[in-house]
Amino acid sequence: MKKVLTTCPYCGTGCMFYLVVDDDGTLVGVEPSNEHVVAKGQLCVKGWNAYHFVNHPDRLTQPMIRRNGKMEPASWDEALNLVVSKFKETQAKHGNDSVAFFSSAKTTNEENYLMMKLARAVFKTNNVDHCARLCHSSTVLGLAATFGSGAMTNSISCMEQADCILVTGSNTTEQHPLIGSRIIENVTNNGAKLIVADNRKIRLARLADIHVRWKNGTDVAFLNGIMNVIISEGLEDKEFIKTRTENYEELKKIIADYPPERAAEICGITPKEIVDVARMFAAADKAMIVYSMGITQHTHGVDNVKSCANLAMLTGNIGLPGTGVNPLRGQNNVQGACDMGALNGVFSGYQKVVDPTTREKFEKAWSVENLPAEPGLTITTAIDAAAEGKLKALYIMGENPMMSDPDQNHVREAMEKLEFIVVQDIFPTPTSEYADVILPAASYAEKNGTFTSTERRVQPVRKAIEPVGQSRTDWEILCDVAQRAGYDGMKYNSASEIMDEVATVTPIYGGVSYERIDQVGLQWPCLDKDHPGTPVLHSGKFARGLGMFSPAAYLPSKELPDEQYPFVLSTGRCYFHFHTGTMTRRSQMLDREERFPYVEISIEDAKELGIYDRAWIYVATRRGEVKVMAHVTDVAKKGVLFMPFHFEEGPANLLTINALDPIAKIPEYKVCAAKIRSAE
Amino acid sequence: MKILTEKNLKTFLKSAEADYNVRVPINLHDGTRALGKIDEGSLAIAGGVIPQKITNVFFPQMETILTIDSEKVELPKPSVKPLLVIGFTAQDADCLEFIDRFYSEDYRDDIYFNKRDGAVIVCVSGRCGNDGEFLKIAGEKCDLELICDGQNYLLAAYTDAGKALAENADGANADDSVIQQLQKESDSLPADDLELIQAASKLLLEEKVPEEFWATISDRCIACTSCNLVCPTCTCFDIFDRKTDSKVQRWRMWDSCQLDGFMREASGHNPMGKENIRTRRRIHHKLAADVTRWGQLTCMLCGRCDDVCPTGIGIKAVCREMVDKYGSA
Repeated sequence: MKKVLTTCPYCGTGCMFYLVVDDDGTLVGVEPSNEHVVAKGQLCVKGWNAYHFVNHPDRLTQPMIRRNGKMEPASWDEALNLVVSKFKETQAKHGNDSVAFFSSAKTTNEENYLMMKLARAVFKTNNVDHCARLCHSSTVLGLAATFGSGAMTNSISCMEQADCILVTGSNTTEQHPLIGSRIIENVTNNGAKLIVADNRKIRLARLADIHVRWKNGTDVAFLNGIMNVIISEGLEDKEFIKTRTENYEELKKIIADYPPERAAEICGITPKEIVDVARMFAAADKAMIVYSMGITQHTHGVDNVKSCANLAMLTGNIGLPGTGVNPLRGQNNVQGACDMGALNGVFSGYQKVVDPTTREKFEKAWSVENLPAEPGLTITTAIDAAAEGKLKALYIMGENPMMSDPDQNHVREAMEKLEFIVVQDIFPTPTSEYADVILPAASYAEKNGTFTSTERRVQPVRKAIEPVGQSRTDWEILCDVAQRAGYDGMKYNSASEIMDEVATVTPIYGGVSYERIDQVGLQWPCLDKDHPGTPVLHSGKFARGLGMFSPAAYLPSKELPDEQYPFVLSTGRCYFHFHTGTMTRRSQMLDREERFPYVEISIEDAKELGIYDRAWIYVATRRGEVKVMAHVTDVAKKGVLFMPFHFEEGPANLLTINALDPIAKIPEYKVCAAKIRSAE
Repeated sequence: MKILTEKNLKTFLKSAEADYNVRVPINLHDGTRALGKIDEGSLAIAGGVIPQKITNVFFPQMETILTIDSEKVELPKPSVKPLLVIGFTAQDADCLEFIDRFYSEDYRDDIYFNKRDGAVIVCVSGRCGNDGEFLKIAGEKCDLELICDGQNYLLAAYTDAGKALAENADGANADDSVIQQLQKESDSLPADDLELIQAASKLLLEEKVPEEFWATISDRCIACTSCNLVCPTCTCFDIFDRKTDSKVQRWRMWDSCQLDGFMREASGHNPMGKENIRTRRRIHHKLAADVTRWGQLTCMLCGRCDDVCPTGIGIKAVCREMVDKYGSA
């Protein structure tokens, strides 16, 4: 029996715990870390069960190659040689940008760095991206434009210090439980004010001082309305605006169009609710905004994010403990995957590929020439390009676009049109059904590396058991591919050596090393070996100098309900499952809690339509129809349906719309039009 | 009674490894205290309650209960060497006594007793709690006891197995007055927490706690299940199978009554389908149902659920709110 300290593979909170390994090398449990600054001896239900899927019999344990339409076992040599030859052949025939690489927010920083290095240095394409595109690409761009840095401004501990917390589009106690618990404790123990702006009656709404249930997708109007009240009542922080920001006049001009009456009408709420929220938020000494997918996953996701940033600057709530704009990152390492440059337009540390000096720096560091200069395809535009026949080959590491991307039939068309697909994963998925080569990867419990949590904390991941079967760590596989492709610059003896390289080319990770992050990690920016890390961003000065007010006008969502499709359908996660369900649905206790695909429907709508709790119904949109179980609940608002996207047998993303934010290319998962009928 | 320095204690424990699988409180990588083998970390005997339930040495989070292959059904075998577990507090010893009863009465749980039979229980008490707290002396609830005088450990042996082990310990003889003084300190420990849960138990048995109270608590519950998973008297488990080409393994793992699936029927109906009912059950079971069934409270006040609960609604905290609200009625 041994106990190995590592970082949780589920959400972005970044709890560390011990994996308990029996003498046979099987994971048999989890124990929380009592000393860890975030976990503090606690865990959520997914954390307690994070060992369970690892030894599941479904694990991929052997490379596979499609021969005559059938997947057959192959050696690593055969599989990797085929990958390299097919990618080279495709590029020779159709150009460098005819291939793309999907990196993964589930894998380590080191592996994300290597995936983007493989794409850029070896295959000379910027077609590299990962699922941050689907969750927080609007944050990365929206906060970079306003503040100069696209990450959570404050730390998790700040949740305990705020006097007022505005939670919008985040079901915090379910999706970031140990952040949600801090909000609950601050409210119940210290009397902090809590404003929940969310269509659903989530747990935090039960404890809120004000719960605003606006129409999905009217965030900009809502936030503009709040700012209108703050300005008209003179509640803004004049000193902060004067000394720390620019473009205030432009903000005032646009906000003037959103008096509470007009904003309330757009949002489907009362003007009083807007006035009350504005006064409560502005009155607090330290007010913070917490948001997540409810803000980002819209065709106006970037506008939503910028509006949150505007509100924080207007009230001077930036740069101090207990304040800030705090996007909660959904995956264990989605922050790190972005930091590492697994994005179409940046190298690690958000250094732009369009900048010639930056390219020169990386060419020198990697001993290559002619790094591609134009931003590449994103996850969403790569799928579009594949469906149009423009993209020919795709290397997918630890992603499951068949389940996670909008409009599954569209993704299926893309998968069918692609000439060559590599899937590197730990379990078979609906995506791997389309693979020409499957590469079995080691799980988080079988490798060393680092994850970066939502509060920008770089933390260790440690090997507790040997990789199962013939599986190999993602970083070793990527290095092997690079070498077989004729590149000698990706040889490492350990994950630690990769991080040392990251530190040399990535200023915000400049002081990060395995030695320094041994127990509690380091929060970036950490510029050099003596830098203590940065718990709160933008203290005294924004990353871009002055904070840029970036007002936006309200734009309606792409597909609104009509007579034919009278409901709004919103999608997301439930507490017990994670994303495409590959891990949680193979965890006994978690899968037992939610065994069936379901849709939340309001008590009023259910009554009107004669639908009872746990009845099977069909939910249909213009993209397709899915059979799911009805959860009749007061969590849902009349006219709005909510469906989690974890279930292969009832995929929410068969229904969602492939409408993208024009800048971030994030899909509008939170609003589309739907109808329902009984399946019984 | 002998007095052992920390060094003598380590030598003593090492010598016990010849006949026992010794488990002792150690500091893990980041200083978290947990049970482990002697050489897996620095000894951490002092510090009070070990955060995880110490009874998990006999009832672990997940374990195989049988294996079936094409030829036979195989049951887990008792280990060759019995366990010797150091680190029980007096409250933990009470918990163990209860789950021994639970797992042996009516139906005997062989998987549990495979590990439990022959095991030596060593309590730790005296001046070695967290932040200088005095840990209650357990006495004859255990085989052996290490009673800290603030620096060294007095070795008290109560059972034959304990006495046989104690003979091998190397240490000076303790002065009776030291033992008497420590016992006096132990006897004079405040009983506030016990009075609190007894008062709460009375309120529950007399049905004086209204339904709306439980909703105010369950609104703050994030269903992390930690309260169950760290509770030494929680005994519920779920069963699942893992099939490979060559065999089927049946496992059991800790369950939690705070989960909807815990009591959901095949039809989907759930008699405990609401959070407030589940929260009520968590407290009611230990303080009322078990009093009726077993004649005793089954919260022994170890404090683990209060320490681990992310939102501050462990059993003591809930009892405090309950007694404050309804106690005088």
